[in-house]
Amino acid sequence: MTTASMSQIRVDAEGRRIGWRYRLGRIGFWALIIVILIYTLFPFYWAFATSLKTERELFAPAALFPQTATAINYESVFSNNQFLRSLVNSTVVASTTTLLALVVGSFAAYALGRLRFRGRMLMLYLVLAMTMFPQISILSGVFDVVNSLGLFGSLGALVATYPLITLPFTVWTLTSFFRGLPAELEQAALVDGANAFQTFYLILLPLTAPALVTTGLLAFIAAWNEYLFALTFTTINPTAQTVPVAIALFSGRISRQEPIAEIMAASVVVTIPLIALVLIFQRRIVEGLTAGAVKG
Amino acid sequence: MVENLQNGERSRPFDGVPLIALLLAAIGAVLIGILVTSVAGAVSLSGEGEAFGTTLLRFLNTYGIIVPVLQLGFGLYMLSLARRLVGRSLSGAVWARQMLLWLLVLVTVLALQAYSQAFSGDLFTSDELTTAAALTTAGLALLWAFWWLGANLDRFEGVETLEQTSARNAWNLLVPTLVVLVVVAARPLEATFIASLTDRRFASRAEYGFVGLDNYARLLGVRLDVIDCAKTASGACEVNAHGAVVFPRARDVLDESYVALRFRELNIIDLPGRTSRLLISARDRDFFSAVGNTLTFTVFSVSLELLLGLFIAMVINSRFPGRGVMRAAMLVPWAIPTVVSAKLWEVMLRDNASGVINQVLLSIGAIQSSQAWLANPSLQIPALIAVDVWKTTPFMALILLAGLQTIPSDIYEAADVDGASKLRQFFSLTLPLLRPTIAVALVFRTLDAVRVFDVFNVLLGRQQLSMATYNYEMLTQSQQLGYASAIGVVIFIIILLFTIGYVRILGVSAE
Repeated sequence: MTTASMSQIRVDAEGRRIGWRYRLGRIGFWALIIVILIYTLFPFYWAFATSLKTERELFAPAALFPQTATAINYESVFSNNQFLRSLVNSTVVASTTTLLALVVGSFAAYALGRLRFRGRMLMLYLVLAMTMFPQISILSGVFDVVNSLGLFGSLGALVATYPLITLPFTVWTLTSFFRGLPAELEQAALVDGANAFQTFYLILLPLTAPALVTTGLLAFIAAWNEYLFALTFTTINPTAQTVPVAIALFSGRISRQEPIAEIMAASVVVTIPLIALVLIFQRRIVEGLTAGAVKG
Repeated sequence: MVENLQNGERSRPFDGVPLIALLLAAIGAVLIGILVTSVAGAVSLSGEGEAFGTTLLRFLNTYGIIVPVLQLGFGLYMLSLARRLVGRSLSGAVWARQMLLWLLVLVTVLALQAYSQAFSGDLFTSDELTTAAALTTAGLALLWAFWWLGANLDRFEGVETLEQTSARNAWNLLVPTLVVLVVVAARPLEATFIASLTDRRFASRAEYGFVGLDNYARLLGVRLDVIDCAKTASGACEVNAHGAVVFPRARDVLDESYVALRFRELNIIDLPGRTSRLLISARDRDFFSAVGNTLTFTVFSVSLELLLGLFIAMVINSRFPGRGVMRAAMLVPWAIPTVVSAKLWEVMLRDNASGVINQVLLSIGAIQSSQAWLANPSLQIPALIAVDVWKTTPFMALILLAGLQTIPSDIYEAADVDGASKLRQFFSLTLPLLRPTIAVALVFRTLDAVRVFDVFNVLLGRQQLSMATYNYEMLTQSQQLGYASAIGVVIFIIILLFTIGYVRILGVSAE
């Protein structure tokens, strides 16, 4: 209501008045966005900056930019067989787990989402209960199972136990996707003489490919990041460690103290593939993560 | 007609039904036989006058409940399938075929395992090759039976309705999931419950016995005692040089069980009048401090995440260029391993000027001197909360953002027309409409926070424990498997109570 805004009323594309209040609001908005971005991303920048620092600089007062950038930490990380091995291990375990979860999960989801049978609701509740299952509370029981299968200290222990983490939400998410497909599809297939497995593989599965990509990504990330089982079941065998365990127990080759710069270099290395996945599939991941929450 | 049929029968030289029925009956008999042998073994092991309960517990500890029940169920089912096959029932035949298929899968897996063991070890001298050969034979028999039934379904009588087919297909498709549920969830859960009644040790073959509920008594043992002040000769309370009332040591005045059961002081509350105080002691002080740490961590991290997440979601819930970039940037903390994020923060929280957090706080004057965030016990839990808030707030914000986007914008326009302030709109429109989303996000975050393991393990090790790291330390460091199992069961019950409470209060539904 000041004279300034009264005298020169300008209007933006959507017909809103552009006054000092509006401009101030815009400035505040972008300031907030920048603050949020700094909050979420600064630790990564700091890890990267630290990974380029020399050992001497690490103990100097913190500086935003490394004085003399060096690649020596990356060199030692990439010549650290233990760490390279853990990258391979994690890749193997996470891919196998994802594949298993998708195959087994899509079977179950088809049954729960498309077929009518007694006990269906019971199974659905069972799966839902499983998604909230606290793995820590059955740690000693899982150890028993792993031990009796002769898998303690091997990668097989992780492949065998990770379905506890990945399968329930895979089944749950895929079930809701299957349920959303039109019923005419199967009726048409049935008329054409396809059996249930053909209907599943040839007609429904291709349609759920996007959902499979989303759930597969979530399963992969969950398995890649898992720490408790990996720590408990593979600590005794250094050749079976996965990335989180390797980073947690990282011992450097150069410095005698905790090799901070090397750990940061290793952290950057393992984070990059995840960042790439997230950037490529950002929309899908958000959809997958929020699908259950928003419908509820 | 009849003659034609008989001719047809005659042209088929071989009837496999009795053979297949025999095969199924044999499998059923073997399953039940193994069960009977193991029961008999447990009974014969029991010494003279051993209590029935002990025998039962030993059996449970070796075999559990789930496996014997499944064994009995499948054994009986196999026998009934054999009977139905002989009776030429079509539904018997199709179900038998499915069972044969899954048995075939099982035998193939076992055979592959046996072969890989045989070829990795000393070939021909090992028993594995015999096992592998036997399994291969069994597999071939199953394969033949499966194929024969499929090719000769017209020899069976009856029809399978569409509903029956669909139910059979459904259960078939659920078999792998059910196997996984039994192997990695149900069986471990059962094993944990049973082990919590023993004094078993981790990764050890040492003999162990049943201790009943002793583990729980030790874990949850709490007692309250009122301690009176030390009296002087005149009967008044003794007062020390600083003017404070002097109290005797608990172990000197309480009964012997206080010392024998290793009670330790947990908390002291002064009672009115200051001549006596209430002493709260626990047998396992570490567990109670772990519960306290976990609850503090949960309450603060989840509420901060909710508030901050809601704020961020409101900010980015408008159309602006670069929103996709923003969303991707917010996914990154969620996507990286918690171990990595803990390490990033460990570096930022270093306790001298080389730690960037100290540096920044010093330069803006928020602190006077560098703080040892991860070494000072009173700063440790707040530091962990900060790490967790950083890692999961973006996730919370994304879920709330998705919820915000389902709210139609015209109701805000209507509210604008009615002259409702932005603040009023937030409290009377946004919050109520967002309630279901907030509820789901809260449930998942709380359940995650209660079982927090990674940050505590990486940043604090054994300095301060959460319930989960305490369980882990008890299992792998103290090697007390029985006791750790009891902790696991208690955590399980706590989380169950949380879940039930949430479902009750917020009305979260499964669909």
